[in-house]
Amino acid sequence: MSRSTSPDPPADLLGPVQGEVSWFCCGTAWGPCSSTGKGACGTCNSGSMQHAWPNTSDACWAITRPDSCGVGLSRRTCGFRHRTTALCSGVSVVTAIADCGPQTDLFCGERSCCGATCADNRLIDLTPAAYSQIASLSTGLRPCEISAA
Amino acid sequence: MRSRRDLLKSAVLGGGAGVVAATALGSLGPEAAFATTAPAIEPGTPDPNFAEGRIRSIKENTLLVLGSNMVFHTIRVVDGTSLWKLGPVGFDQAKPGDGLYARGVRMPDGMLAAEAVWLNIVNIKGHIKNITSQTIHLDHNGHEVLCHVVAGKSVAIHSESPATSDLSMLKVSQHVQILGAWRPDTNEVDIATVFSPH
Repeated sequence: MSRSTSPDPPADLLGPVQGEVSWFCCGTAWGPCSSTGKGACGTCNSGSMQHAWPNTSDACWAITRPDSCGVGLSRRTCGFRHRTTALCSGVSVVTAIADCGPQTDLFCGERSCCGATCADNRLIDLTPAAYSQIASLSTGLRPCEISAA
Repeated sequence: MRSRRDLLKSAVLGGGAGVVAATALGSLGPEAAFATTAPAIEPGTPDPNFAEGRIRSIKENTLLVLGSNMVFHTIRVVDGTSLWKLGPVGFDQAKPGDGLYARGVRMPDGMLAAEAVWLNIVNIKGHIKNITSQTIHLDHNGHEVLCHVVAGKSVAIHSESPATSDLSMLKVSQHVQILGAWRPDTNEVDIATVFSPH
């Protein structure tokens, strides 16, 4: 049976959506990342301008389940481009989908803030190359706004 | 407001220890690289202004790094370069064998003039298999990572709450994200921040 993406209209369908952004490693790597592969699209590399999106396929959605946190997201497949804007700095980066993730349901309700500016739920993971364009890697997690690029 | 790139450019032009004199490199010097505006990177492609790998050797202010994809990088650290290794550190904390990510400006000769270098930084998700006052055993993609609490460094962030050095709220089987510094050639990590959804 094919699972539908969400019972509600995707939050990102008509405009930007706000959520949390983190970073992840993929491709050839050192340390704990060395066991990581090239991602669901087979192209993911930490040094490339790429990201993971929770709804790249039915199988992906079944793992990430942002709908369990009350968030519907559009189906976007490998290579689709999103713009991620850090709410802390206003700096943005455009990246292409290379993997399925983050696992939104495991962090349901989590909130990140910059002062009074906050965003809920993990909606996107960037590669280190991409994340470091909008924030220091040492921040680990930031509130952001995501739109189609 | 001056950008970090402007500050780095000033640092390079201002000279000082750890900075190669502009005259030694002519137009290939880091001051020239910082003076240019980085072109937009095509989404999906490698960022030429970013590097990852492990330090093979250190010569004066330059890191010789072998990328995990077997590509060599020469990374120059200048006065304005920020370095991180479980927190802000000096250049003397960079050691051969350290893993790193670096962002900067790629110069025409291929050298990367570094704005920031993150040494051994990892950002891993997993569930807690066991926890003591000094360690967290994390199951990360089926691999156990032993995470060490470091006094004065390790903090937990429970959703939007302020960071706290009290990690006692963390529970076995809970899913967390751990930002920390890998201990090279081990499955161990020193904890900087544990992100917990609740």
